[in-house]
Amino acid sequence: MRKALKVKVAAAMTVLLLLLAGGVAMAEEMKMVGDVVKIEISGPDAKTAKATLKDTKTGDLVTITVNDDLTLDKFKDHRIGVGDEIRCKYEVKDGKNVSKYFRKTAGC
Amino acid sequence: MRNRSRLAVFVAAMLLAGAAVAKEHPGKEYIERNGYQGPSTCEAQGCHPGTAKEFLNTVHWKHASPVPNVEGLEPGKEYGMKNRIYTMCNGNDIVNNLKEIFNPATGKTKFSGCNSCHPGNHISDVGSVGKEAENAIDCLICHASKYDFRQRRASEDKTGRVVMGQDRSKEAALSVGRPDVKNCMVCHESAGGGVLLKRGFAFTKETDVHAKNGMVCVDCHASKNHRIPTGFDPNNWASDGLRVSCEDCHQGTPHKDGDLNRHVARIACQTCHIPRTGGAIAKDFTRWTQGADKFYEPTTLKKEANETTPVYAWYNKTVRNEPHFIGPKGSREEKGSRIYPFKIFEGKAFFDKKTGNLLSMDFAPPMATGDALAGVASAAKTLGIKEYEPVPGWQTIYFGSTHLVTKEKALTCFHCHSRNGVLNFRALGYAEQEEEKLTNASIYFDKMAEQQKEDW
Repeated sequence: MRKALKVKVAAAMTVLLLLLAGGVAMAEEMKMVGDVVKIEISGPDAKTAKATLKDTKTGDLVTITVNDDLTLDKFKDHRIGVGDEIRCKYEVKDGKNVSKYFRKTAGC
Repeated sequence: MRNRSRLAVFVAAMLLAGAAVAKEHPGKEYIERNGYQGPSTCEAQGCHPGTAKEFLNTVHWKHASPVPNVEGLEPGKEYGMKNRIYTMCNGNDIVNNLKEIFNPATGKTKFSGCNSCHPGNHISDVGSVGKEAENAIDCLICHASKYDFRQRRASEDKTGRVVMGQDRSKEAALSVGRPDVKNCMVCHESAGGGVLLKRGFAFTKETDVHAKNGMVCVDCHASKNHRIPTGFDPNNWASDGLRVSCEDCHQGTPHKDGDLNRHVARIACQTCHIPRTGGAIAKDFTRWTQGADKFYEPTTLKKEANETTPVYAWYNKTVRNEPHFIGPKGSREEKGSRIYPFKIFEGKAFFDKKTGNLLSMDFAPPMATGDALAGVASAAKTLGIKEYEPVPGWQTIYFGSTHLVTKEKALTCFHCHSRNGVLNFRALGYAEQEEEKLTNASIYFDKMAEQQKEDW
């Protein structure tokens, strides 16, 4: 009976720890609007790029890591370039601001 | 079996298409030797003869066409983004022509205008004709996979004319081919004031089963002599006279299940296979919001692709067109009508109290200062309207919902035939007793119970 109780407590503790660990690992989503001041991309076959945005509210420079193919393609053919205003959502992962949403604010 | 055959045909077609893509453009050597000068290069040496002239007569160049299925239009007149207005786009090519806009708050300028997507150079603009217009066509923006968009920027020439640049480099010309999704979306994703706002769909493998299967826009919108087929979106009026529909490929009895096939006569494919929509849900052209760059934009409520749900209505492919409503005509009683899904959009703008008509707007004044009425005044001046009395009002628009196609998440029996189902049977013309019967689980219970047993 006592052993069974110990097993239950251990199981509960494990679940709790996993949940807490998950909470720590869950990155917070950040949002910003900013102008592109720099794009660093290594060539036509690049699978990642860095774009530096100047936050329109704070004036801070924020470097965003972009990995999605669609946005990378827009960097490569300059559909997105320096001076474009961007609405961006990103998560901080391993010290990098990884883009989840990266779109020009303008349309026609 | 039939679906398998179709799949085999599709796979074979994709393989052939792949081979075609890999095939070298026959004009490669000529372009390498002579460079690229525009349409004259495409037509040189007997290749693509007459194509430029032919293109000048398409909707992509004219931004207008005869519109036979919309009520209340002047007979014989052509309509399209060249001249029409509604509350998603309160300007058009005429009143909101591409120009440089000066911001008094910052001293900075920017180029903006409805015709900024026109595939000419703006000197030869929407609907222009003649040799100069033919030479101005930007073939590569639709046909090159290596187009450098730094070249496609508006600027002023020495005489003060606004010119839209083009990439006419050898590198771009050597990458010509059949248009890819990117070539179409360059313009079509930015319509209505921002990315994926107007129609609210993204054509990606995550959001559309056709994209997931490797298809591109022109697989369905397959052009004939640069005339591109379109569907019957109640708010997309101009067409090249060619139409595209799901039934072009998915004919007759597209489902294995006979009960589903029975629905096809009165329920459009889109109704079950496009259960979501997205993009802007409402916009206010009377109230402009200042952005970070100190320019103003109409205040807009934006949603993502697949974030909103459609509304369902009978549609016979003709359009009710009134100042405060643009949407489908049709009814349950009418044999040619089917139930379709629509993206609902509501826009606020100025109407003329004297005539009741919607007034158009030149975006330059409100973009610079936020003064929406100055935009109405500028547009009225361009159109020669001397007397009008602007009053704010709302317009409801039903946009066709024909992308974001899904197989896995398609609506099934209980999505419609239940008390909290997506169809409002009463609004669709069914009596109370009919609704009672149509929203009862007895319709599908045995069948779904059997399916459930098979699934587990």
